[in-house]
Order: sequence, then structure tokens, then C-alpha cells
Amino acid sequence: MLEFLGLAISAAVLSGNLCGAIGFYVQRLKITTLSFSVAHAALAGASIGLILNIDPVYSAMITAVASALFLGIVFTRIEYGRELISMAVFSVSSAVAIFAIYLSNVRVLATVSIAVVLWGSLLAITVEKLILLLLILFIFVLYILAYRIQIDSMLYDVKMAEAEGVNVQMHMLIMLFFAGLIISSSLRLTGGFLVFTLLYNPVATSFQISRRAHMQLLASSILGAVSASSGLMVSYILDWPVGATIAIVSSIILLLAYTAKIIAEAVRRRCLSRPYRLG
Amino acid sequence: MRFSEAVKLRNVWVAYSGSDRPAMRNINLTVPLGKLLLITGPNGAGKTTLIETCLGLLKPYRGSAYLFGVDTRSWRIRYARRMCGFVPQDFMKPPFEAYTVRHVIRLGFAPYKSIFESLTEDEDKRIRWVSELLEIEDLLDRPIGTLSGGQQQRAVIARALVRKPKALFLDEPFSSLDKEGRRLVSSVVRDYVNTENASVVIVSHDVNPIIDYADIVVKMENGRIVSGEDYA
Repeated sequence: MLEFLGLAISAAVLSGNLCGAIGFYVQRLKITTLSFSVAHAALAGASIGLILNIDPVYSAMITAVASALFLGIVFTRIEYGRELISMAVFSVSSAVAIFAIYLSNVRVLATVSIAVVLWGSLLAITVEKLILLLLILFIFVLYILAYRIQIDSMLYDVKMAEAEGVNVQMHMLIMLFFAGLIISSSLRLTGGFLVFTLLYNPVATSFQISRRAHMQLLASSILGAVSASSGLMVSYILDWPVGATIAIVSSIILLLAYTAKIIAEAVRRRCLSRPYRLG
Repeated sequence: MRFSEAVKLRNVWVAYSGSDRPAMRNINLTVPLGKLLLITGPNGAGKTTLIETCLGLLKPYRGSAYLFGVDTRSWRIRYARRMCGFVPQDFMKPPFEAYTVRHVIRLGFAPYKSIFESLTEDEDKRIRWVSELLEIEDLLDRPIGTLSGGQQQRAVIARALVRKPKALFLDEPFSSLDKEGRRLVSSVVRDYVNTENASVVIVSHDVNPIIDYADIVVKMENGRIVSGEDYA
């Protein structure tokens, strides 16, 4: 049992870490809407996996990566209406997901196969998936280190980076490709409807903690890992759905960070407005 | 590779995505090497559109635009852009932007770097050279968001110059500078044209700070060039 729990927590830490990191990049590069659509394409893919009787992670990976590449190309070719195309992909993906679940042979919504697709499951985490997450983490870190200065230039100002000759289109496509990979590989833990809470809540919390880009990236990765692992533990203890519990835990962390920031700013303002007395 | 001109626009029409009205109509313009070109005109004349078309950030829907002989629609345009420096109109960063001035200038080298490559000693010397030139050497370790508009503008001009570009595109580079700053930037840019035989394109609605230094003055109105067409 402990071995199984250790495996689940390791997967949660890796998934949370990856989601927190990619969430930071998609937010800073202003492609959040696109990643939201990619998350739903992953859900559609996982649901199709139920009909075809193949591992939902791999079918989710195919649709997520395909939609990421499609949206990436649209993003670099079209200026007006990008968001609308992204929302069209989101709508179609959601519809496909629901149809696929309806058409699948799974009769009970609480079965493991459906739980994996909709709200995540502890039972769905295997050594194979853990290795997959480790591999993605390794390649992602390698990419970030290899192109550190180019990515930094885009984070500072995308337009300037493009005008100076940085291959912005390629890096945007790669980022969306990683978003597709990370979302689909994290699907087993959080489920398709809630995977984006791990993408957005940690980065939103990190913005309350620090103003430095590198600190935000670090904080977002750590907070993603903390949210996912603690959410998983709570769900295990209280026998709650994993994805929903992770979403609630990460939202509570965000709320606490936001409240702490408001209090800290109020205290700072009070200190600054206090008159200075001589003697 | 040798070029006689940095930019060549032939019967160029540009419209923003989603808009029916062209922002620039039938523009013909050549920017020779070793010249300082000033583009002036009122707000909405199409000056920024012109500078972004020269760099290939906006593509013409009719006519042709070339940057160092490369069609701006070609995928090879990013190699031509590596010979350019660019200062955008909206350069200001919010107070929480924590990149230091040194880091911002260093980012100018990004396109030339291969994977895992870091800053060389020569590039470090160039950062010092350009910061002394623009009198921002004391600001190098300050976060850019904490600086005034004028200081930020000088830092971004330094980033464009540190690349030693063959063509420099400056969009309203005097907008946040005081009188002394305008004089300094104007003379630095003029010296750069003379010493490096580079082309400089400056977009400015206010001609006073730079008019005496410019070789060519082009006036735009309603998306058209209304004077200075000798350089078409």
C-alpha cells in the first residue's frame, strides 16, 4: 500500500511541477487561451481512447499535441480572431469528449476508466506513467536550458524578440507542444475537466508571491507540486475525487497568498503613512 | 554579403488583420546604406505600420517588401532581422518588471546564440561600451521597471545598438526623453551612421530633435507618403 501511495505522490509531484512550469510560460507568452483549448482537446482524446479501447493517456497525447500544433500555426499566421478559433477548438473538443463518453461501453460513471478521463484516479497511476512524466520533465528542462536566452528575450518582449530575429514561431510551437504533452500526461491524476487548475492556479499564486520572472517560475513549479501532492493526500484520507481535491487545495493556496498580499500591502501603507517624530 | 540598400518597398499595401481599410497605401521607399531617414507625420499617418513592414512584422497584401534583399514574406526574413536593431514605441515596462538593465541589453544578443551558449567576454565589453555611450552605466544593475521613462528608453536604445546592426529602426525614440537626452541620442545615432555605414530609420511625430541630423525626411499622411518620394 505504501509503495502504491509513494508512486502516486511521486507522479503528483512531477505532474504538479510540470504543470506549474508550463503554466508560467503560457501565461507570460500570452497563450493561456490556447493552452485551455489544448487541455480540452486532451480530454476529447482520452474519451476517444475509451471507445477505441486504448490507453487514454496516449490518445489524449495525440489529440493534445495535434491541437497544440494546429493552434500554434494559427497563432503565428493570424492576428485577428485567434481567440475565437481557440474557443472553437475548445467547444468542438468538449462536444467530442461528451459524445465519446456516451458512445463508450462504460456504463457506470464511477469506474476507473471513466474516472481517469473525467476527474482523475489514484488507481490509474503506474510506474510506466511515472517514467513518462520523468522523461517529459527531462526533455522540457533540457529545452529551457538550451534556449534560455532566446526564451528570456520572448518573456521580456515578444515583439522585440521577433524583430531582432529570434525564431518566435518555433518557440511558441514548442511551448504549445510541451503544453499538450504535459496536460495529457497529467490527465490521469486530475482528470480532463480539472487539469487546467494545475496550469493556472500555481502561476496565479506565484504572481502574488514575487515580481521577479525567475522567482515566479520557481514558485509556480513548487506550488504546482505542493498542490498536486497535498491534494492527492487529502483525497486519499477523505476518499474524495483526486482532481477536484487538487483543484480545491490549489485554489485555497491561491486565496491564502492573495489575502496575505493584501494584508502585507495594508501594513506597508500604514507604516509609510505614519508621521515621523523627532526625538 | 554586400548590399546597397537596407530596405526596399515596392507598391506596398498593408492592412491590419480583420480590417478592410488599408493602413498603408501604395508605398514606394528605398533606404540606402549609410543614411539616416526620418519619417514624420501626424498620429495615424501609418509611420509605425511602415517601420513594422520594413522589418516584416507586418506583411504586405499587395506589392513587395525587402529587408537586405530578403522578401519579408520569406521564412529567411529572421536572418535579415539579425542585422537589425529595433526600438518599439511601447517600450515601457511596469514597476514590477525585475529584469535589470544589463540583462535587457544582453537579450539583444539572443538571436546570435546557439544552444547552451552564454555571454562572451567581447559581448560583455560591448554592453559596457554602449552603456557609457548612452550614459546609463550607473543604471546597469537596476531593475528596468524602477527607472523613469527616459532611462528605460535609453536602455532599450542601448539594446538595439549593442548588436552593432546594419539597420536600426527607432519608433518614436524621443517620446520620453528630456532635451538633453534627445540631443545625446540624436548625436549617438548620427555618429553610428557615419562610423558603421549603417542605415537608420527614425519615426517621430516631433521633428525638432533629429531634423538637423537626418539625410532624408519623408512625410506621411493617411497611409501615404506625401513628401520625400525622391527616395522611392
